[in-house]
Amino acid sequence: MTARTIKVGTLARVEGEGGMLVEVHDGRVENVQLNIFEPPRFFEALLRGRDYSEAPDITARICGICPVAYQMSACLAMEDAFGVTVPDEIRLMRRLLYCGEWIESHALHIFFLHAPDFLGFDSGIDMAREHRGVVESALRIKRAGNELMSVVGGRSVHPVNVKVGGFHRMPTVQELSAIRPDLVAARDEVMELLPLITSFDFPDFEQPYLYVSLGAENGYPLESGSLVSSEGLQAPVHDFGEHVVEEHVAHSNALHARFDGRLYVVGPLARYSLHAGALSPLAAEVAHAAGLGPQCRNPFRSILVRTVELVYALDEAIRIIDDWQGSVASVPVPVRAGVGHGATEAPRGLLYHRYRIDESGAITDAQIVPPTAQNQPSVEDDLRVFVQDRLDVPHDQLTRQCETAIRNYDPCISCATHFLDLRVDSR
Amino acid sequence: MKPLVVGLGSVDRGDDAVGFLVVRQVADVPGVDVVEVSDPSRLVDLGAGRDVMVLVDAVSSGSAPGTVHVLEVGEEALPIGSAAASTHWVGLGEVIELARVLDMLPARVVVVGIEAGSLEHGSGLSAPVRKAVPAAITAVLDLLD
Repeated sequence: MTARTIKVGTLARVEGEGGMLVEVHDGRVENVQLNIFEPPRFFEALLRGRDYSEAPDITARICGICPVAYQMSACLAMEDAFGVTVPDEIRLMRRLLYCGEWIESHALHIFFLHAPDFLGFDSGIDMAREHRGVVESALRIKRAGNELMSVVGGRSVHPVNVKVGGFHRMPTVQELSAIRPDLVAARDEVMELLPLITSFDFPDFEQPYLYVSLGAENGYPLESGSLVSSEGLQAPVHDFGEHVVEEHVAHSNALHARFDGRLYVVGPLARYSLHAGALSPLAAEVAHAAGLGPQCRNPFRSILVRTVELVYALDEAIRIIDDWQGSVASVPVPVRAGVGHGATEAPRGLLYHRYRIDESGAITDAQIVPPTAQNQPSVEDDLRVFVQDRLDVPHDQLTRQCETAIRNYDPCISCATHFLDLRVDSR
Repeated sequence: MKPLVVGLGSVDRGDDAVGFLVVRQVADVPGVDVVEVSDPSRLVDLGAGRDVMVLVDAVSSGSAPGTVHVLEVGEEALPIGSAAASTHWVGLGEVIELARVLDMLPARVVVVGIEAGSLEHGSGLSAPVRKAVPAAITAVLDLLD
C-alpha cells in the first residue's frame, strides 16, 4: 500500500488562518480537509440583546477586508424587519460605497495574493522585486478603492457613516467629484495590467458547479437583489433558509453550508456566470479579451473574473458619481417586532444576515452566513478532484497547486486579528 | 511630514485591541498624525514620504504578557514569523518588507509591541496588558520626542 499526504499547516496568502490536508491511499484521494479556524459564532452571540441600530457597526468588525459587506447586509435585514424600503438614491450611494470595497479587496487578491502563484513567486515581496511597476500600480488601484470608501463611509478603522435607513451624512457632489480622477486613473491602470493577467497559464480544470448569487434588477448584482441559481431558481432572500442548511463538520469549527443538500459556489465565478450580460461595455470587453465565455467553470480562472469585476466596479463607481445629484441622507425607521433577511454580494460572494427583533428594537436572534462557509465544501471537492487526476505531479509542485486552488476562492477565514508572532533572540 | 503613529488591532479579540487603546492616548499630541488600522495591507504605502512611523500592536513572542517591546526596524527584516504566523494575508513583517522593496518605508520605523495574554473573542484586555498600557504610551511618546 502506498500512502501520500499533502499537508500545509498554515496557509499563507489567505485571509485569516487556515490549514489543508489531502490524504492519498493506494492511488485514491481518501481524505480532504480544509481546516479553518473561523471565529466561533462570537458575533451572533454578541448581537443578541443589542439594539438593532448597532448591528451595522458591530458586524463591520467581523472582517477588516470587507466591513461594508457586513454593514450592507445588516442594514437590509433590519429594513426588511421594519418594512422600510430606502429610496433609489440611498441604494445607489450604498452601491458606490460597496464598489470601493470591491476595488480594494479585488486589487489586493488579484495582484498581491493570487498573481504570485501564476508568476511563480513565493510571496508578493518577491514579486515586487521583479515586477515593481505592477505592484506600484496595484497599490494605486487599491488606494483608489480605499479613498472611495473613506469619502462615502468616513475615515476610521471601519466605515462609520452607514446606518439602518441610509447614511449619517451624504457626501457632497464636490467630494465625490474630487475622487473621480483617481478612479479613472485606476481603471486605466487595470487595463494596462490586463495583458499580464491574461498571459497566465491556467490548469485545465472545470467543475460542474451549482452557482448561486443575487440577481439584481439593475446591473450586475452587488448591494441588493433576490436569489438566483444556475439551475433556474429565482427566489426572494426570505427563502434563503429554506434552501441553505449549515452543518458542523468535525475537522473545522467553521460551518459548512449546502444548498438544497448540494455543494454550491458563491462569488465572482457565480456572479459572472449568471450575470455576464449585465456587465458594463468595458468590463464585457475585458471578459472577451481574457477569453472568458458566457460562463466560467475553471476556478483557477477566477483571477480573470475578478479582474473583470474590478473594471466593472471602477466603471460603476464613475457612473454613479457622474449621475449623482444629491439625496436625503436617510429615511425614518419605524421599529416593530419581526424577522428581517438581508443579502448582498461581498467581494467573496453572497453574504446573508437574518435577525429577529423585539418590539423595543432589541436583537433577540442573529444568523450570519458568510461566503467562505458556503464555498468551503466546494473548495474541498476541488482539491479532491484536482489531486486525483495529478497523482504523478511532484510533491512540492502539487502542494503549491493545491494552495493556489484554495486561493481561487479568496477565502476569508478568521478575519479581524493580526497579532505578531515574534521571535526574540535570547542570546 | 509629521511622524505617523499607527495603531493595529481588532476590538473584539482580547489583547489585540491594545494598539488602538495606546494610539488614542497620543492622538492629541501636536505635530503627530495618528491612524487606526485593522487591515495591515493598508500599511504598505501609509508611511510613504514620512520620516518617522511608529507601529503599535499586540505581539506574541513567549515573553510575559504585558511586556513592552520596542523594536527599531533597521536594514534587516524584523524577526517576525512568516506570513503563516500572522492571521492576515501578510503579517506586519511582510508589509514592512514590501514597503522597503518599493522604497515606501520611512527612514525610521519603530514597532512598539505589547505582549498579548489572551486573544479570545470577547475577552477584553487581560489584566497584565491593561497594566502595560501606560508604559506603552510612554514608549511611544519617548520615540516622538
